[in-house]
Amino acid sequence: MADLGRAALVVSFGLALYALVVGAIAAHQNRRRLAASARNALLACFGSTLVAAIVLATALVRHDFSFSYVASHTNRTLSPVYSLSAFWGGQEGSLLLWLLVLTGYGALAVAINRRLLRDLVAWVVPVLGGIATFFSFVLVAVASPFDTQTAPIDGAGLTPSLQNPYMVAHPPMLYLGYVGLSIPFAFAAGALLSGRPDERWIVATRRWTLAAWMFLGFGQLLGAHWAYVEVGWGGYYAWDPVENAALMPWLAATAFLHSVMVQERKGMLKVWNVVLVALAFELSVFGTFLTRSGVVNSIHSFAQSPIGGWFLAFVVISSVFSVVLILWRLPLLQARTKLESALSREATFLYNNLLLVALCLAVLWGVLFPIITELVKGESRTIGRPYYDFFLRAFGLPLLLLMGIGPLIAWRRTSLRALTRSLAWPVAAALTTGIVLIAAGAGSSSPGLIAYSFSAFVVAAIVVELVRGTRVTGSLWRLVARNRRRYGGYIVHFAIVLLAIGIAGSSAYGATRERALRPGETMTIRGYSLTYQRIVHPPNANATETRAVLDVSGRWNGKLSSGTNAYRNPPETSNEVGIHTSWLRAEDLYVITDDIRPSGVVYFKVLVKPLVNLIWIAGVVFLLGSAVALWPDAREQRRLVLRLAPARA
Amino acid sequence: MSALAIVLAVALAAAAVVVVCLPYLREPEVEDDRLDAPTEGEAKRLALAEERDRALAALKELEFDHRTGKVGDEEYRELLGPLRRSAAEALRALELSDEAEAG
Amino acid sequence: MATRNPARLIVALAVAVVLAIFLLYTAIAGKSTPQLSPSQLSGHAGAVSVVGVVVGPVSGDSHSQRGLRFGLRDRGAARGKVVPVVYHGESPPPLFKATREVVVTGSFDHGRIAGAGIVTKCPSKYTAQPKA
Repeated sequence: MADLGRAALVVSFGLALYALVVGAIAAHQNRRRLAASARNALLACFGSTLVAAIVLATALVRHDFSFSYVASHTNRTLSPVYSLSAFWGGQEGSLLLWLLVLTGYGALAVAINRRLLRDLVAWVVPVLGGIATFFSFVLVAVASPFDTQTAPIDGAGLTPSLQNPYMVAHPPMLYLGYVGLSIPFAFAAGALLSGRPDERWIVATRRWTLAAWMFLGFGQLLGAHWAYVEVGWGGYYAWDPVENAALMPWLAATAFLHSVMVQERKGMLKVWNVVLVALAFELSVFGTFLTRSGVVNSIHSFAQSPIGGWFLAFVVISSVFSVVLILWRLPLLQARTKLESALSREATFLYNNLLLVALCLAVLWGVLFPIITELVKGESRTIGRPYYDFFLRAFGLPLLLLMGIGPLIAWRRTSLRALTRSLAWPVAAALTTGIVLIAAGAGSSSPGLIAYSFSAFVVAAIVVELVRGTRVTGSLWRLVARNRRRYGGYIVHFAIVLLAIGIAGSSAYGATRERALRPGETMTIRGYSLTYQRIVHPPNANATETRAVLDVSGRWNGKLSSGTNAYRNPPETSNEVGIHTSWLRAEDLYVITDDIRPSGVVYFKVLVKPLVNLIWIAGVVFLLGSAVALWPDAREQRRLVLRLAPARA
Repeated sequence: MSALAIVLAVALAAAAVVVVCLPYLREPEVEDDRLDAPTEGEAKRLALAEERDRALAALKELEFDHRTGKVGDEEYRELLGPLRRSAAEALRALELSDEAEAG
Repeated sequence: MATRNPARLIVALAVAVVLAIFLLYTAIAGKSTPQLSPSQLSGHAGAVSVVGVVVGPVSGDSHSQRGLRFGLRDRGAARGKVVPVVYHGESPPPLFKATREVVVTGSFDHGRIAGAGIVTKCPSKYTAQPKA
């Protein structure tokens, strides 16, 4: 059946190329049936890609090791769910997933908007076709998931650290986000190509952007939680290029979600918005490449990875295309109004954008630093955690503050007097928090102290907004229903505050101790005393489990076990940490067995992580807020139809 | 290549060709094969409608901000006039353009 | 219009501030470590981060005086210079073993790397690699 998969991908490639070339001709020559034909090609491209995906999924579940991909990523002992998750466990499969999601999203977006925005969609089709052409070409010619071989008796298996529920959900979530960002890009490019100055593309893609952004954000938190509970080094984010790969487009998309409101309200920042959409898209393609090719520590890593050169070429070509397109259509992107005051909602959005983009570029600079220094100095150099931490504080803390100020400032302009009145409560809350924390001895970390004070400020600002709004509308429910997008946004802001508190708490106020213990010996940390009892080997069919059992007393009384799993196939070892979460104290006791010696001595690393759980709670709140903002709004829909309908009559 | 795979692959390719040709199969002859892109007038109307929605939203927002105390009385009075004017202008321009279209 | 758009002023100021922060950072805290492959090490001394493939035998242990010992070779090279590593500290990550690509941070002196940290690549990479 590998032949069917390969053939389906060839068909996909042909259809994508058709959508690109014929779609562009149709849109350019204004030919209706030809445009419809190109659009159908895009829909059919999804169909044939789906066939290819089904062939691969079937082979994975049926353990058909004549597929090289199946043989190198699964084995017979793997459960069907994890066999299926190997779909995105390797390079070829994840590229196929990219193409599948892209054509699926594209077909849906084009189908939904084909009537109301027919002229625009005619130009969106070739752009989406172009992106699909690239990915299907790579899948056909460079990294085919359908290479075959003489079937071995068993496959190589899936790395144990990928065999857990997080790794089933996290990669598809990220892909839904990465790929989703190509829809607003295609619509923005389509609008520019069609040469129409209106803002239908923004209306058409608002929810796509929001959904992609939500998936990307939530996917990252899933990944962080996976790192925390499964990888077991005691942290959740390490500024690894692969992690940064998802953070960068998310930051760019966050900036876009804010700045696009300025364009909707005031007709400003049009150039900036298309630049941001293009940046988010390019970063998501670059991110896919980073994730798939590994550490970019040298120019040679591009050459070493078979797909590297192709991806680099695609990023360059699509960036040049975007830049040329924007420059060409610059006259269409003239602002209609000017910024009236530096103290207005639109101005705060501008500051927030600059900070977000600056943070995004700082991260990008860090990722590319080894390559740049190699090009300039002939020697590759890296910058580590201190660099990223510095910029997270330098740009992140002001962003946090802005998140509180922004909502209290009116559009157009705000007098200092009105602002002072609005700020009274939040400032009081921030000062009180700061003083209480210093009194409680939390002044040991000034970034932590600042983060907490700012967080109190933001929460107070949100509460002030809700209270004032509720007073006017009569009920909180009606207030939120009035502008779901805004109040959904506030819920997301609250999630970001939780995230900030969690990050500051676990990194600025945590404790770590390392000790080698013999059975019966005790170590203490932050009021917990841990006594190492013995080693046990719980039964496990696929691995030798080794666990050190500890009695914990003091702040919490109970047992914790921590150790390793040595898997038989593939022969790999994973850390299995012991975590006790105290919800009341809002802290985690985190035990890593660093080394278990035959002599009976065990090297323990024990961490106390305050408030780390807020990070995971933030993920749920983030989803809730995004869902509120995404929820269909009948009134908004009616208004839009009213706006667009006469033009279509 | 197994026979089944060949048959399925050929069927897939054939289906793709049919789907792509569908617009021509459905309408072999048409009078007007142009994309019905908005005319000059419609594009103008759309721009005016966007302007109107923007102005009305701004008015509504100002009203709400004033009632919640985000905008003081003085600024409210200052901002209200120009916003009302621009909203009225947008509405009038839209009406004129609709009349011109109709007439 | 005689007055310039204040948006431009704000953007210009912001860009200036951001640049200033960058400069400040590189001036005060800008520490970068050279990242090298094992074959590029000769002639270097001091702090390095070395990217390479672990070459066995892996012996000893990182908590003892003698340390954990192994070799590093250039990525993608089947043969070639192997630089010895003596590593002290926490146990290496679970994915660490011969044939794996790792980044070792530490210092290079007298033809030997004194390792203080080992990072293995994200596990999703391994599955994509052909079996060694």
